[in-house]
Amino acid sequence: MSRSDGSGNVAGEARRPPSSASLLGSEMKLLFRRRRTQALLLALAAIPVMIAVVVRLSSSVPAGRGPAFLDRITQNGLFVGVTALIVAVPLFLPLTIGVVAGDTIAGEAGHGTLRYILVAPAGRVRLLLVKYIGAIAFCIAAPLAVALAGAGIGAALFPIGPVALLSGDVVEPGEALVRMLLIAAYQTVSLLGLSAIGLFLSTLTDVPVGAMAATIVLSVASQVLDQLPQLEWLHPWLFSHYWFGFADLLRQPIGWESFTDNAMLQAGYIAVFGALAYGRFVSKDVLS
Amino acid sequence: MTPKWLRWTPAAAVPAVIAAGVLTGSVPASARDPLPDKTPAQVLAMISQHSTKSLSGTLEQTSELGLPDVPQIGPTAGAGAGSIAELLAGPHTARVYVDGPTKVRIQVMDRLAERDAVRQGNELWLYNSRDNTATHVTLPDKAAGHKPPTSRMPGTVATPEELAARMLAKIDSSTEVTVGEDVEVAGRTAYSLKLTPRSQGTLVDSVAIAVDGEKGLPLSVEVRARGQAEPAFRTAFSSLTLEAPDAGLFDFTPPPGATIKEMVLPQIPHAKHMPHLKKDMGRHHAEGKAPTAAGKSVSVTGSGWETVVGFPARAGAPNGAPYAAPSVDSLLQDPLLRQATVTVPGGRAISTSLVNVLLTDDGRVFAGSVPLERLQTAAAAAR
Repeated sequence: MSRSDGSGNVAGEARRPPSSASLLGSEMKLLFRRRRTQALLLALAAIPVMIAVVVRLSSSVPAGRGPAFLDRITQNGLFVGVTALIVAVPLFLPLTIGVVAGDTIAGEAGHGTLRYILVAPAGRVRLLLVKYIGAIAFCIAAPLAVALAGAGIGAALFPIGPVALLSGDVVEPGEALVRMLLIAAYQTVSLLGLSAIGLFLSTLTDVPVGAMAATIVLSVASQVLDQLPQLEWLHPWLFSHYWFGFADLLRQPIGWESFTDNAMLQAGYIAVFGALAYGRFVSKDVLS
Repeated sequence: MTPKWLRWTPAAAVPAVIAAGVLTGSVPASARDPLPDKTPAQVLAMISQHSTKSLSGTLEQTSELGLPDVPQIGPTAGAGAGSIAELLAGPHTARVYVDGPTKVRIQVMDRLAERDAVRQGNELWLYNSRDNTATHVTLPDKAAGHKPPTSRMPGTVATPEELAARMLAKIDSSTEVTVGEDVEVAGRTAYSLKLTPRSQGTLVDSVAIAVDGEKGLPLSVEVRARGQAEPAFRTAFSSLTLEAPDAGLFDFTPPPGATIKEMVLPQIPHAKHMPHLKKDMGRHHAEGKAPTAAGKSVSVTGSGWETVVGFPARAGAPNGAPYAAPSVDSLLQDPLLRQATVTVPGGRAISTSLVNVLLTDDGRVFAGSVPLERLQTAAAAAR
């Protein structure tokens, strides 16, 4: 978890006010060149590979058992990606997002690099925005890694053909791939709210592990609350409520309602926790 | 430097703005023109004369029947779903597409799964994505012409129109019919037709049917049970367009790899089966005795809202036939119902807020929208 490259860059540029683009560029480089980020993406990509290999080696999967679509994989490789996305939604994706979003500000503070960044007149608001955009980039990359690895390993191990949707209608592999990318996009949107929460928690502490753990715990807590029938009034307000709504993209015709509902909800979370993060970060005494 | 508290204002303002937005959004817009006043008879005439041929819409169904909830946890498609009672117990969303009387498609949107019923002409396909099975039914010819556009499709939810038709068939001297304040359903202004049983011996408190003010199409049906604040059963359109849906929706070919079953409909007019039994809220054709496949008879006691229907032990109908009278065995195969069954004097009972079902120790089944004691009385009397 060495970050000598990142802190060196930023400290070197400290004298000139960095442009937003260069600030964003260095943040992206910092994020995706990190061993940890790469390891997270690799671990996500390993989910479909693992599923595909296990299904290939086992004789047959009875219908209706295990994650949805597991029994369809042997007939059509494209289902590997969909199954892996379903498996990744409740825990693996929030876990990786929690690590990245929880690290945003607290990571810099924990390494003592935050004050160097702020010495350059980058502006705290701009830094917060750049950090959040970095988290968004990871939200895009993470489901995409699962979907693409799934499509790749599925094509390698199983036949590819027309795909049966939930409604029983059949679409060509090309459209199926488009729908899978739509699901990945849906999950990107789903994770934006959690990223905003992670960003806020990250401004609260100088210990990045604390912010990461708190973000992940919140994602689990939200899903548990979503299962309690006594709290039905609360359910539409939980950021995890629409996480499985991407199934509507696999119907014929596509149901966009859950997509827009989800986007509205996540936008609300971004606004609330973005404002909280702003309030906390601009009034914070940065000592490290 | 701005004072510290000023920097926290966005954090306070944003939730306030959201809360304000939600509150104003939830207040129904009352700017619409009120509908012209109509008597209950006129509203009833609107329903019977409505000529809406094509529609596509989304139905939301909720129920508080007192049945156990089906837990839906984790990435699997909910277990226990697929049971017939589950279609009634949990909340459901379904998309309905209708184009004329013989082109109907109903999609029950389950979590990560879907149940479809597609009808084109006399061909009916039932598809369940959970176990990837397709069932093909050829409907008898005469069903094509007479039935209303959304006649009951097995394995799916009932549409407001269909439920309304059943409720309205009940109207007789034992029912008080009134028209309430205009309501808004799926963005359309509607008359609210209210049926209140005059009898005290039924579990049903009232039935409210929203009737589209322009077209006469039933938009929602809400059944309230005695002593319960929230509606025991409600189904309503959440969105509705009165245009012909894409014709391709009604062409159904089972996907490759699906298990395909052929089902033959037995020619029994008005035979009862499970969904009927629960949905009918105890209303059954008061023709007295209806023959079943085994030649034994279905007994009907009481009238109107207090009707109790008794099924003889083991009707002997072929297994899997959808219109077979329920036997105790087949009832208890349903996991949700097995869970809901309690032991009572004389047998076991399934109690919901709208319907009670008594399974006697000797295998007979009694059902009705009446208190359990009345079922026990009927069972004892019929012995």
